[in-house]
Amino acid sequence: MSELEKVLRETARRLLEENQVEVIIGFEQGTLPLRTTPCFIRDPDQVDRLVWNASCGNNLAQYLHHTTGKVGIVAKGCDARAIVSEIVERQVPRENVVIMGVPCQGVIDRRAIEALTDGREVLEAYIADGKLVLRGAASEETLDLQDVLDDGCAVCQHRDPPLYDILLGEPIGGIEGAAVRPTVEQVASWNADERWAYFSTEFSRCIRCYACRQACPACYCPECFVDQTQPSWFAKSDDLSDIMAFHIVRAFHTAGRCLDCGACARACPMHIDLRTLGKMVEKDVRELYDYEAGMDLESVPPLGTFRVDDPQAFIK
Amino acid sequence: MDNRTIEKSAIAGFLDELLETYQVFAPVEREGILGFELLRGSDEIVLNAHNTRQAPKEVFFPRSETLFTFQEGKIISTPPAEKERVVLGIRPCDARSTIVLDKVFDGDDYQDPYYVDRRQNTLLIGFACGDPLSTCFCTAVGGGPFSVDGLDLLWTDLGDRYLVEAITERGEALITDYPQFGQATAQETNRKAVTAAQATEKVSGPSVEGITEKLDGMYDDPFWDELHQKCLGCAACSYLCPTCHCFDIVDEGTVTSGRRVRNWDSCQFALFTHHASGHNPRTSGKERMRQRVMHKFSYFVENFGEIACVGCGRCVRECPVNMDIRAVIEAIGQAGDGSRISDR
Amino acid sequence: MSAEEHAQADWEPTIIAFLCNWCSYAGADLAGISRIQYPPNVRVVRVPCSGRVNPLYIIKSLQHGADGVLVSGCHPGDCHYISGNYYARRRFTLLKGLLESVGIEPGRVNFSWVSAAEGEKFSQVVTGVVNTVKALGPATRLVKRG
Repeated sequence: MSELEKVLRETARRLLEENQVEVIIGFEQGTLPLRTTPCFIRDPDQVDRLVWNASCGNNLAQYLHHTTGKVGIVAKGCDARAIVSEIVERQVPRENVVIMGVPCQGVIDRRAIEALTDGREVLEAYIADGKLVLRGAASEETLDLQDVLDDGCAVCQHRDPPLYDILLGEPIGGIEGAAVRPTVEQVASWNADERWAYFSTEFSRCIRCYACRQACPACYCPECFVDQTQPSWFAKSDDLSDIMAFHIVRAFHTAGRCLDCGACARACPMHIDLRTLGKMVEKDVRELYDYEAGMDLESVPPLGTFRVDDPQAFIK
Repeated sequence: MDNRTIEKSAIAGFLDELLETYQVFAPVEREGILGFELLRGSDEIVLNAHNTRQAPKEVFFPRSETLFTFQEGKIISTPPAEKERVVLGIRPCDARSTIVLDKVFDGDDYQDPYYVDRRQNTLLIGFACGDPLSTCFCTAVGGGPFSVDGLDLLWTDLGDRYLVEAITERGEALITDYPQFGQATAQETNRKAVTAAQATEKVSGPSVEGITEKLDGMYDDPFWDELHQKCLGCAACSYLCPTCHCFDIVDEGTVTSGRRVRNWDSCQFALFTHHASGHNPRTSGKERMRQRVMHKFSYFVENFGEIACVGCGRCVRECPVNMDIRAVIEAIGQAGDGSRISDR
Repeated sequence: MSAEEHAQADWEPTIIAFLCNWCSYAGADLAGISRIQYPPNVRVVRVPCSGRVNPLYIIKSLQHGADGVLVSGCHPGDCHYISGNYYARRRFTLLKGLLESVGIEPGRVNFSWVSAAEGEKFSQVVTGVVNTVKALGPATRLVKRG
């Protein structure tokens, strides 16, 4: 058990015993190597189930949409930003949440590890001293943790939660010298044909399971546009046009709200690049409106406001 | 029929010839994901891999299927498939799922013409699983890595060749037409038996003994209150599952022309049981998770005599929040003793 | 239309134009009254305000046969509903960027401010859009195949 886990469990116990919260939302050990799983703890004697490590990839903030009463929640940088967004958008009252902030060193990219192990099943794994050790039936390999971090984490500027009630470790700051992710730069250098070829190939794998939407803390509409039937905007069948429309519109509906937390891409069973398109919109939001979601409780989402002198060079 | 063998080096030749007469579905890799697809050439097949990301149920039950098109008041039916099809490389778990799907789509009361046409037109050549994954639990639900249920032929990997066993007459008839199959030796057959025993030994899973009866009395159990909490309500499990078969039928187009299409649906979606009146009997994730588990391990058993799970492990591997059906089954076994799932 | 028909030089693009009732629609009306000639490829949908235009309209238009889309509203500061066009401006900025990021050709989706007095400008805007879309050819991305 790490020092952070020790503090996490003590804090959770105290919050429950003192009735400051009714439930703690955190992570516990999963049933597979390198997996943790969200847990909901109401009994102070259960807090030893709580863990914190580089497998804690889910964004727990999206559970706040479905919980009532006072909630204690474990939040890494991006999760805390999601909670800020939820408060700004008046989905979660600030006084209902006790945020146990966790300075986050990054979460692992499961798909990258699957690709590296190339079909050899990992039966056991552990992280120690910046290394990831993987044991299979007939093999053991050691990887640098940096090499298998989620690619958003590798350039993360917000490793410390911008909002918290209790900080469970020492702040660690953002990553020095990090810029826009390579994939965004790459796509920006392509022409329209190349961009369409890339995104339509990626999204053609989509099976419309909506794991991305369900995992996203920004997607909480009681009725999603894609579920509307009177009228029906886009079909749920296999026409590429409708699949593209779903992802384009979701990228638009999360414009100025997406935190690039990566929960969508990690949830996708078909390993689709779900982040780059949203990241390109986010770049526009930052450059045009000097706005970054999830940082400031007093902020107004960019599409909910305007300036008289907003850029409009493209308008005839 | 005596067992045969086919050398791995001869498979391309076999496929080239097979493709002249049949459409062939086989494991193919696209952008790093392994899936059953229509082979365009014999070189596309991937032999030495574990199971595909998605189940091959699309071969019989496509994700979206046009039932018919309509134009100016006329209904134009979708013509049935012309070429016969072979699925090469289906695993025993996925082959067993046809038993479950047949109960639904080709039962005593109702035969779905779209499904039945595809089923009758398709031959299944299975690959035995010599190296099951830790997430496989086929033996716990009535299957096994060398099970032949639902298969026409079973191939077992012997290193540089496959042992080929005919399970049905149709399977036998298929391979007698092709020159790539030689006679198997007793030694080769024996090797298969040893591999089969080892592989079957390796698979483990929770006990489902008495689960149907247990679940029958658990409808109002507080067990369900906690179980569903982490579930996102997506369809990753249902869509990857070889036995899940729920669907939604919609019309696309305009009043004058369009198509009627059947799409996969999932009981995990909030709107799955949403009525036109606005009422939804399964209002929260609790009811929906209870439904999923009870359908597979209770209702389907009562109605059709089969557990609607083949232990392929896809939902275990791919659930975004690591909802593990094996842990759920174990918890059900222990439920009702006063403790909550979180106490275990 | 079939591919062969599209290949013919006399293919004409279909442009859907969402025009705000108070300014752009009136401007288009003025162009008509003034007998100003402009290409007939535009199908007009009148909306109360450019701020009413849901980005889904634009995407659905491209799905169902529009080769190009034009959205036109009042000049900033002149919106009949005070600020509808200001919100619309931000929305369209991000939507245009998003569509171009995903690979929809620049020039398919266009935006303009046209006042009720600008009949001439309206005809020029439409002419420009039609020519741009003509050069791009028929829309193929996002077209629904059914």
